[in-house]
Amino acid sequence: MSNGLERMHPFVLFLYYVAVGVLAMYFNHPLFLGVGCIVLILVNLTHDNGKALKKWIPMLSVMCAVIILVNPFINSRGTHIFFYFRGKQVTLEATLYGAVLSMSLVLILLMFISFNLILNGNKFLFVFSRFLPRTAFLTMLAIRFVPLLNRRLDEIADVQRVKGLSIKTGTIRQRAKSGMVILQVLLTWSLEEAIETSDSMKARGYGIGKRSPYIPYRLARQEVGWLVTLAVLLLICLVGGLLGYGKIIIYPQLGTLQLYPIDWIVFISMLVIMAFPLLIEGRELLKWNYSLWKTSHSNSRTRT
Amino acid sequence: MAKSNRYLMAVSILIVILLVASIVLFQYKAYLLLSFLLIGCIMLPMFARFEMKEIGGREIVMLAMLAAIAAVGRVPFAGLPSVQPTTFVIIMVGLVFGAESGFLVGAVAAIVSNIFLGQGPWTPWQMYAWGMVGMTAGLLRNTWWMSKLWGKCVFGFVWGYLFGWFMNMWIIVGNLESFSWEFFTGIYVASIYFDLAHGLSNVFFLLVFGVSWMRILERFKKKYGLFDFQRA
Repeated sequence: MSNGLERMHPFVLFLYYVAVGVLAMYFNHPLFLGVGCIVLILVNLTHDNGKALKKWIPMLSVMCAVIILVNPFINSRGTHIFFYFRGKQVTLEATLYGAVLSMSLVLILLMFISFNLILNGNKFLFVFSRFLPRTAFLTMLAIRFVPLLNRRLDEIADVQRVKGLSIKTGTIRQRAKSGMVILQVLLTWSLEEAIETSDSMKARGYGIGKRSPYIPYRLARQEVGWLVTLAVLLLICLVGGLLGYGKIIIYPQLGTLQLYPIDWIVFISMLVIMAFPLLIEGRELLKWNYSLWKTSHSNSRTRT
Repeated sequence: MAKSNRYLMAVSILIVILLVASIVLFQYKAYLLLSFLLIGCIMLPMFARFEMKEIGGREIVMLAMLAAIAAVGRVPFAGLPSVQPTTFVIIMVGLVFGAESGFLVGAVAAIVSNIFLGQGPWTPWQMYAWGMVGMTAGLLRNTWWMSKLWGKCVFGFVWGYLFGWFMNMWIIVGNLESFSWEFFTGIYVASIYFDLAHGLSNVFFLLVFGVSWMRILERFKKKYGLFDFQRA
């Protein structure tokens, strides 16, 4: 899986996810959040045809349903009263708030589903190695150790099973105990190995100079352009939000949902930010189709 | 010391400014966003301190290995709900290698395990909660009651609840505008059994394996002179 978005510089991708995450928590106008959710679903579809998204759909829908249904009943703030339930008022405000809140959470989770696919492992750490090099290095090492340790755990568990200790049978106490024995074997084995690893690192010159990244990402001019565009649009959104655009008053009394001209400017800025992966992919798609059309066209022309 | 004091001053002033700004400028209250900024402000100095410290490759690889073990520890216990030795491993690291290492291993273990279990808005909260488990273990390791086994068990049990209570906060902060005490107590009542399981499993691990893990880690620390910068 390698699409146009993934080839972007990690900084651009990081800024994109930060912007989407911030705006998802920032605006509370239903239109803004609803459109944001749709755009992010489309973004997820372009990654892997929604394979990762599908796994989350049950959880997302249950969460939404719970928040929207439960909020009006545990919260009786607001003035537009639908009906009374056991002496407590069920209000329009609380219902709308539940909807807004669930959309905001869904948007954040959709962002993280895309994030886990696109800005995974190496790229994410590349971003952080600029600010916190040693912490990023430590994290990177720990991530690399996880598959190694999993393999060792299997190996140790196999040996322990032959000896009659298994985490799959027995009382909870016994299972927890044999699980911990496995973990203790892992501890001594791996710590000894860690010392060897660090000595070999030292022998190869760790700590002499600045660490260089494994994959050297370079910012192309076009990517700098995207960085600036995203930053400017984010700024418009933040300033607009500061002045109250893109937001509605829910409590104590529902304000107007009407959009003013400046609301539309903020809305379009947000839309462009969130649709950034779609723009990239769309451009690639156009290029591909256009070049195919052109080559087939020229081929047919040469043939005739 | 003066340097870190200045850092603390700057961060506390920044937090106050953020809180005031959130009330004055954002009548519409972006609480969740604010909570992330605050957690970032509180954790940044600890990471910065680690960046600036004189530290060898051995210590870094050792901490990475311990964080990976803490994260992987969730795997063999996947069949038992709410029982995981991650907290126990972090407490051990804090006790043997000190507060700073405890914090780092806790925070990194949260990131690493979530890379495999899924990142989400809960990641910074988990980083903070587990970081604090390691840090408090390190800060309290020289008190008389922490050297006793029962003291460690009480500590582990209390953290089982504190961890759960802190993680409940992210649900509440994300939903603060519709805050009500019924909602608050509802969430905390719902988590009682999970926290109890967490606390009891901590006590169990500390009782059965605390002594041997302490001995193993102390042995490694002594054998390879880890975190021993006065002599080196």
